[in-house]
Amino acid sequence: MINSKFTAQVTPGIQLLSDDQKGGIHSATLEVLRRTGVDVLVPGVRDMLQKAGCWVDGGRVRIPPNLIEWAIRAAPSRVVLCNQDGNPAMELEGRKGYYGTGSDTPFVIDAYTGQRRKAVLEDVANVAKLVDALEHIDFLMCMGIASDVTESISDLYHFREMVHNTSKPIIYTAWDRANLEAIVEMAEAVAGGPEALQRSPFMALYSEPISPLSHAKESCEKLLFLAEKGLPVVYTPGMMIGATAPVTIAGALVQANAEALSGLLITQLAREGTPVIGAGGILFMDMAKGAISYAAPEFMLAMTAFSEMYHYYKLPIFSFSGCSDAKVFDQQASAEGAIWMMLTALGGGNLIHDVGYIESGLTASYQQIVAMNEVAALVKRFMGGIEINDENIALEAIDRVGPGGNFVGDEHTFQHFRRNWVPELFDRSSREEWEVNGELTLGDNAAKKVRQVFENHQAKPVDESVSEALEAVIQKAEERNK
Amino acid sequence: MSDILSKLSTAIIEGDFASTPEMAETALEEGLGPDEILNKGLMPGMDHVGVEFKAGNMFVPEVLRSARSMQAAMDIIRPLLAETGIEPAGKIVIGTVKGDLHDIGKNLVGMMCEGAGFEIIDLGKDIEPDAFVEAVKEHSPKILGMSALLTTTMRAMEQTIRALEETGIRDSVKIMIGGAPVTQAFSDQIGADGYAANAASASDIAKKFTP
Repeated sequence: MINSKFTAQVTPGIQLLSDDQKGGIHSATLEVLRRTGVDVLVPGVRDMLQKAGCWVDGGRVRIPPNLIEWAIRAAPSRVVLCNQDGNPAMELEGRKGYYGTGSDTPFVIDAYTGQRRKAVLEDVANVAKLVDALEHIDFLMCMGIASDVTESISDLYHFREMVHNTSKPIIYTAWDRANLEAIVEMAEAVAGGPEALQRSPFMALYSEPISPLSHAKESCEKLLFLAEKGLPVVYTPGMMIGATAPVTIAGALVQANAEALSGLLITQLAREGTPVIGAGGILFMDMAKGAISYAAPEFMLAMTAFSEMYHYYKLPIFSFSGCSDAKVFDQQASAEGAIWMMLTALGGGNLIHDVGYIESGLTASYQQIVAMNEVAALVKRFMGGIEINDENIALEAIDRVGPGGNFVGDEHTFQHFRRNWVPELFDRSSREEWEVNGELTLGDNAAKKVRQVFENHQAKPVDESVSEALEAVIQKAEERNK
Repeated sequence: MSDILSKLSTAIIEGDFASTPEMAETALEEGLGPDEILNKGLMPGMDHVGVEFKAGNMFVPEVLRSARSMQAAMDIIRPLLAETGIEPAGKIVIGTVKGDLHDIGKNLVGMMCEGAGFEIIDLGKDIEPDAFVEAVKEHSPKILGMSALLTTTMRAMEQTIRALEETGIRDSVKIMIGGAPVTQAFSDQIGADGYAANAASASDIAKKFTP
C-alpha cells in the first residue's frame, strides 16, 4: 500500500518575501554599496578594503558587488556557541532558534519593591542566575548596566558576574578595543586558553555600525580584533525607521542589509571564516512621540524580512523578541512580548535577544523575562507542528469510543496526552480554585518565581584559579584607568 | 502494613488496572478482610492520587486510570463487603438534566467518585425530573448528582429538586450539581446541597457528605 495519509512534518513558518523580491532587495543592497558606499572611520580598514578592490574616496568606501557576494560565501553558515564547560549549547544555523536577554539598560524594575531604579552590578548577577535557572532562556546578555562600579570598565565587571552566575553562553558588550582585549583574556581563562576558546567559544561580542551606513572607529577595531582571534561576533544595525533609515520598510531593509553585509566583508577580509551573526535591528521611530519603538508592527515586518534575507544567504541570524515599550511589566508588556516570541520563532531567527526589555530598551524587567520563558515553552510546543501518521490520526480510538462516548478514559489518550503542553505560570484553574489560591495574576506569579530563583538558585561555581584570573584582569584594568 | 496492601496502593497510583483484581484476590487468600483491603490498600492509593492531582503532578487520564484500577479491585471485594454487612462508601445517582445531551463532565464525576469508592448509578443524559425521582426511590442513594452545560438547561436542576420535594423524598439525599455555567450562588439559590467546579472536587464533596 502506498500510504497517502502520511505527510512529512513541516516546521511552522511564515514568509513575507518571494524569491524574486529577495533577489530585488539583494540587488538594491549591492547598488547602495556600489553607488553610495559606506563610511569606514579607520584608515587601516579602508586600506584593506581598497586592496581587495573597493573604491576609496576620503572616508567613504564604495564596494563592488562581487566582493559582497564573496563575503556571503566565505562566512560560516553555522556558528556553534558552547556553555562554559565547552559543550555545545546553541547551533546558530537554519531555523534553529534560541532566546536570550538584552544588554545595557540603565534601569531595572526592582524585584522586591517593583520600583524602577538604576541598575547595579548585583542586577547583572541576578539576571545571570535567572537565565541559568530558566529552561527556555538559552543565553545571557547582561541586561542592566552597572552604575556602582568604575564606569569606564563596567563591561569587565558585567562579564565577571555573568561568568560566575551562569554556565549558559554569553553575548557581551565591550566599550572599546582595550576593554574587549581584557574581556577576551578573561574568557580565555575560563575556556582554558586561546585555542580552546576559539574551538568552543562560550561567548560572542555584540557590536553595531552607526546608522546610516557608517562603520565607526570602535566598531571597526572590535571587528578586527575578533577576526584576528577567530572569535564570534554579532554585528547588527541598530537603526530607526524614519530617522536613521528610510521611512519605508523596504528602504530600511535595504540600508540595514548594506550595513550588515559591508561589516561582514570587513570581517571576512580580515580573516576568512570569522564567525559572524548578522541581520538585526530595524527599529521604528514613532512620529507622534518621537520615541523609539521596540514593538511596532513595522519593526516586526522589517525584522522578519531581514531574517528571510539571511536565510536566503544561509547566514546566522540575530533577532529580537520578548521586548516592549511598556513602562512596567503590564498587559502591554505581555502582549507585545508574546507576539514577538511567536513571530521570531515563525520567522526563523537564530540568536533571539532582548527578552525582558521594556520601556524601549531603557529598563529591564525580571518579571517579563520569567513570563516570556513561559511563552517560549508554549511557542516551542507550537513549533513542534503536527505529526500526522496512523497512530496520531487515531482511527482505532475514534472507532473504539464511538458516538456519545468519551476519550478521557481511553488508552489512546493515556498514551499520548503527555505530548501536550502544561503551563507552569499561566492559569487554567477554575475561578473557585483561583480565588482560594489568592487571585494571583501572571505578574504576581512571575514576581514570585523571580524571587524564588534569586534566593535559591546556585549556578555551577567556577574554579578558584579561574576566579583569581578574572580578578587579576579587572585589577589590571583598574590600575590602567587610575 | 502487609506487603500486598502496599503493592495494591502502588498499583492504584500507577494505574495498573490489569493487576489490581489479582492483587485483591491474593490479599483475600492471605486472610485479609475486605474492609481492611479497602481502607488500608485501595483508599490510601486513591488518596495519594487525589493529592498529586491537586498539586499538578498527576493528570486527568492518569487519575482515571487509577480510578479504573480501584474499580477493578472493588469488583472483587464488593460482594464480600456486602456479605459482611460492611457499608461501602455509598451509592450516587448521577445524570445530565432534561434537554441537555452533554455528558463528558458527568462521566468524569462518575469515574472520580467510583475511584473514591462510591457505587455509581449513571442514568445517562437528557433525564426528566420524574426519572431522577424514580431512581432515588429505587436505589436510595446517599447523593444525587446533576449536570448541565447549557444556561438554558440549568433550570431543569431546580425543577428536579422541586419534583423531589413534592414527592417528599428531598431530604433523603444530598444533592450535588455541576457543569460549566453552574456556580455556588446558583446552587444556593435553587436549594442544592453542594456544588463542585470540577470532577476532582466533586469526589471530595461527595466524601464530605458521607462521613
